[in-house]
Formats: sequence, structure tokens, C-alpha cells
Amino acid sequence: MKKDIKWGFTGISIIVGLMLAIQFQTVKQPKIADTRDGWELRTQILAEQQLQSKLLTEIRELEAQASSYETQRSQSKETALKQTLGELKRESGQTKVTGDGIIITIKPLAEAELLGETIHSISPELLKRLINELNMYHAEHISINGQRVVNTTVIREINGEPKIDGLPLSNYPITVRVLSSDVQNLRDRIKVSKVIEQFFIDNLSVEVSDPVKKLTVPPYQNAIKSKYLEPAGKE
Amino acid sequence: MWLPIFGLILGVILGLLTDIRIPEEYSNYLSIAVLAALDTLLGGMRAYLQNLYDEKVFVSGFFFNIILAASLAFLGVHLGVDLYLAAVFAFGVRLFQNIAVIRRILLAKWTKSPEKNL
Repeated sequence: MKKDIKWGFTGISIIVGLMLAIQFQTVKQPKIADTRDGWELRTQILAEQQLQSKLLTEIRELEAQASSYETQRSQSKETALKQTLGELKRESGQTKVTGDGIIITIKPLAEAELLGETIHSISPELLKRLINELNMYHAEHISINGQRVVNTTVIREINGEPKIDGLPLSNYPITVRVLSSDVQNLRDRIKVSKVIEQFFIDNLSVEVSDPVKKLTVPPYQNAIKSKYLEPAGKE
Repeated sequence: MWLPIFGLILGVILGLLTDIRIPEEYSNYLSIAVLAALDTLLGGMRAYLQNLYDEKVFVSGFFFNIILAASLAFLGVHLGVDLYLAAVFAFGVRLFQNIAVIRRILLAKWTKSPEKNL
């Protein structure tokens, strides 16, 4: 009986001792840090400063590495692809383009107005023809009344109203902005082209401006639908 | 009589050697638990000297007191009231009472038969 008592007591004592020791160690821990004298602190600061400078050097190295990677990346295929994509977007009319160009203004003939003749709205065929003509003379970017002309642009009459991609063209004047790398040539050729005479028959006058520097053609606003386009399968 | 003291020393040595450390935020709980354990230990000693000792009461009391003290501290932390002070007070008072009783018993025994130890 007495032995049992002692064992129970001993077990509890061991647990208490263990708890005491753990508590002692836990509480004691911060006090060690506070007993450093000035010299030790100085050494500590020095060590920390060294660590800091080492880390700074490391940061600098890593930044240099990052910038070198950046350079490599800019010369990589991805950039080439991106560039191509940008060029394609520019070509397909999805970006704003600024450059040398001319402004063609179509408005009713003043004489016809004087004579009281009815001015019909512009015929889509005529406009299409003008665009074809412009394209023939190496026009690169065209916009009509702020609507960009792209490959899929539709110019047609809907309920007697000429529309370009759904945008009505019933009001005069109609402004056509044309950008080209050889503006002078384009201007000269369009001035003498037959399409101008066609406009004249419809009681419309066509004014071709002098070459304008920094003419801006807006991007195509609608989404370009490529219904029948599919990525080619692997060969 | 010496075996429990030996056990206490063994526990302390074991604790110091194993270098166990608990997180700072739990040290409150452990301190209150240590207090409860000490109280129980001294209570057990007193009961033994008064011949009232019961193994089951002692062991269950030990764990129950520790858990109660720790949960009281936990509750205090979460209520924003320093409830662990209640435990500290209760255990502190009992600690002193137990020590006083033990001292008296030992003193009485010693004056009765000075040459005979426990």
C-alpha cells in the first residue's frame, strides 16, 4: 500500500518537475537577450549591418539578372510574335493609325442645290467604287465618317439609307480619311480619276484636300467576325 | 519519502535536458498549471501526513485542478477579464495553508520524537 502511494506521488512529482522546467525555460528565454552589454550590441549591429549589405548586394544581383532576363525576353520569339500580332492588328484596322494622308469631303453640289434638284443620299455602289479606287492607288487606311473601313466592311443600302457597317451615311458632308505612304501620288491620281465624275453625275462634289500630316484614322469599333476562319490542322 | 523528491528532481533534469520550450502565448497557461500542480502536490503531502491520503483523489485532483486552472485562464483571456488571477489567488492561499499544516504536523512529530524521522 505504501509502495503504491509512493509511485503515484513520484509520477506526479516527475510531471510537476517537467512542467516547472519547461515553464522556467520558457520564461527565462527573453531575459538572456537583455543581458547583453553595449559592446555585444555593437557587435550584433555590425553583424546585422553586414547581413543587410549582403542582402542588398543579393538584391542588386537578382535585379541585374531580372533585367538581363527581360532583355533576353524582348529579343525572344514571344516578342516577335507580339510584334507580328501588333502589325496584323494595325493592318486589319483594329488600332488607331496616325500618318500622312488626305481628307476627301463629299457634299452636295452647290449648283444643284441652287437649281432645286433633289439630292439623293449617296449610293453605296459609288462609295464602294471610290474605296476600290483608293485601294488601287495604295491607300493603306481608310475611314468614312469616323468608321474604319476594313476587309469585311459592308457598305449597302438598308431601307433606302446607305449604311457602312450599320452606321448611316445619309447626312452630308461625308468625310473620307485616307492614309498612305505615298500621299502625293494618291492625291494626284484620285483627283483625275473617273470616280469623281461619277459623283458629279449624282449631284455630289468631291473635294480632295492637300496632303495632311499626322492624320488620324480611328480603329474599327465592332468585333471582326471570322466565321469561316479556322486554325489549320497540323500537317 | 525521498522517492517523490527524487522524482521532482528527475522531472526538472529531464525538462532541462530535453530543452522543451512552449510558445510565449501559452506560458500563462503553463504557469497557472504549475501552480495548480504544486498545490495538489502539497495537498497530497498534507493528506499523507494526516493519514487521509487517497491515491484516486490525489491523481484525479491533480489533473482536474490543472485542467480547471488552464481553462479558467483560457476563459479569462477570451472574456477580457484576468480570471487566471482567481486561480492564482485560490491556489496561492491553499498553498500557504497546506504548507502551514505540513509545517505544524512535522513540528509536532519532531517535538514528539526528535530522533525519529519519517
